[in-house]
Amino acid sequence: MKLLVFVLNKEEYLEEVLEAYVEAGVAGATLLDSEGMGRFLAYEVPLFAGFKEFMKGNKPYNKTIISVIRNEAIIAKVKELVDEVVGGLDNPGTGIMFTLPVDWASGLIEEEEEV
Amino acid sequence: MGAIGSRLSPEYIVVPAQVQGKEEVLKLLVRALAAGGITSDPDLLLKDLEARERLSSTALGYGCAVPHAHSAAMKSTVFAAARVSPPLSYDTPDGDPVSLFFLMAGPKTDTGLHLKLLSKLARLLHDPQMREDLNRAETPEAFHRIISEKDA
Repeated sequence: MKLLVFVLNKEEYLEEVLEAYVEAGVAGATLLDSEGMGRFLAYEVPLFAGFKEFMKGNKPYNKTIISVIRNEAIIAKVKELVDEVVGGLDNPGTGIMFTLPVDWASGLIEEEEEV
Repeated sequence: MGAIGSRLSPEYIVVPAQVQGKEEVLKLLVRALAAGGITSDPDLLLKDLEARERLSSTALGYGCAVPHAHSAAMKSTVFAAARVSPPLSYDTPDGDPVSLFFLMAGPKTDTGLHLKLLSKLARLLHDPQMREDLNRAETPEAFHRIISEKDA
């Protein structure tokens, strides 16, 4: 059982990313509004205000999608479909995806087969 | 020697300094760098520092400020420092006057380095003992030694 964490910088792909999750068989996920460290430092900490111009072109806000997944084959499918949607996570500024082991969970809903 | 100590020569440290305001302390620190041949254009560097100050104050609070600039007048990133007596009234988050000034200036290409150096200096200056030691240092060499020991 894993916790799949995906920080999606290109928020315009959110709908398609969630469609990819559902297609891959993810039964449920939680979406969090999040923001990058660079934006916070440059805009909220006066000492770093001089770095605002270097933020241009960067996405200030992002979405973090977290989901507990029992069937690890689903994770590989999510990665494959998300890569198609966003044009590859290896492109800088697209997003970060990683997993963490989960040793216990309660309240999960049934996972479905990939369609 | 660490990243800050190696970029702050005792010849760019003025202790104690008697100045009347923010503009004067910036000029004093730029003059120190210019005397060492560190900047190709002191007037431009001063303008860049003042422009950054207009954006928002570089005071950290607890009597410290770190005026800084990315400037075409600089070929490498260096520090200068001054301990001002009496402390200057400054636009500070806690309202305390500022006695410890650290100027950081470097080329625009060093942005990543500037972020790291500013973060490191802010962390060092959070230490009350370090600030007390710097406020007591009687010579540029002693001031530099305190920085270098903490920034090992």
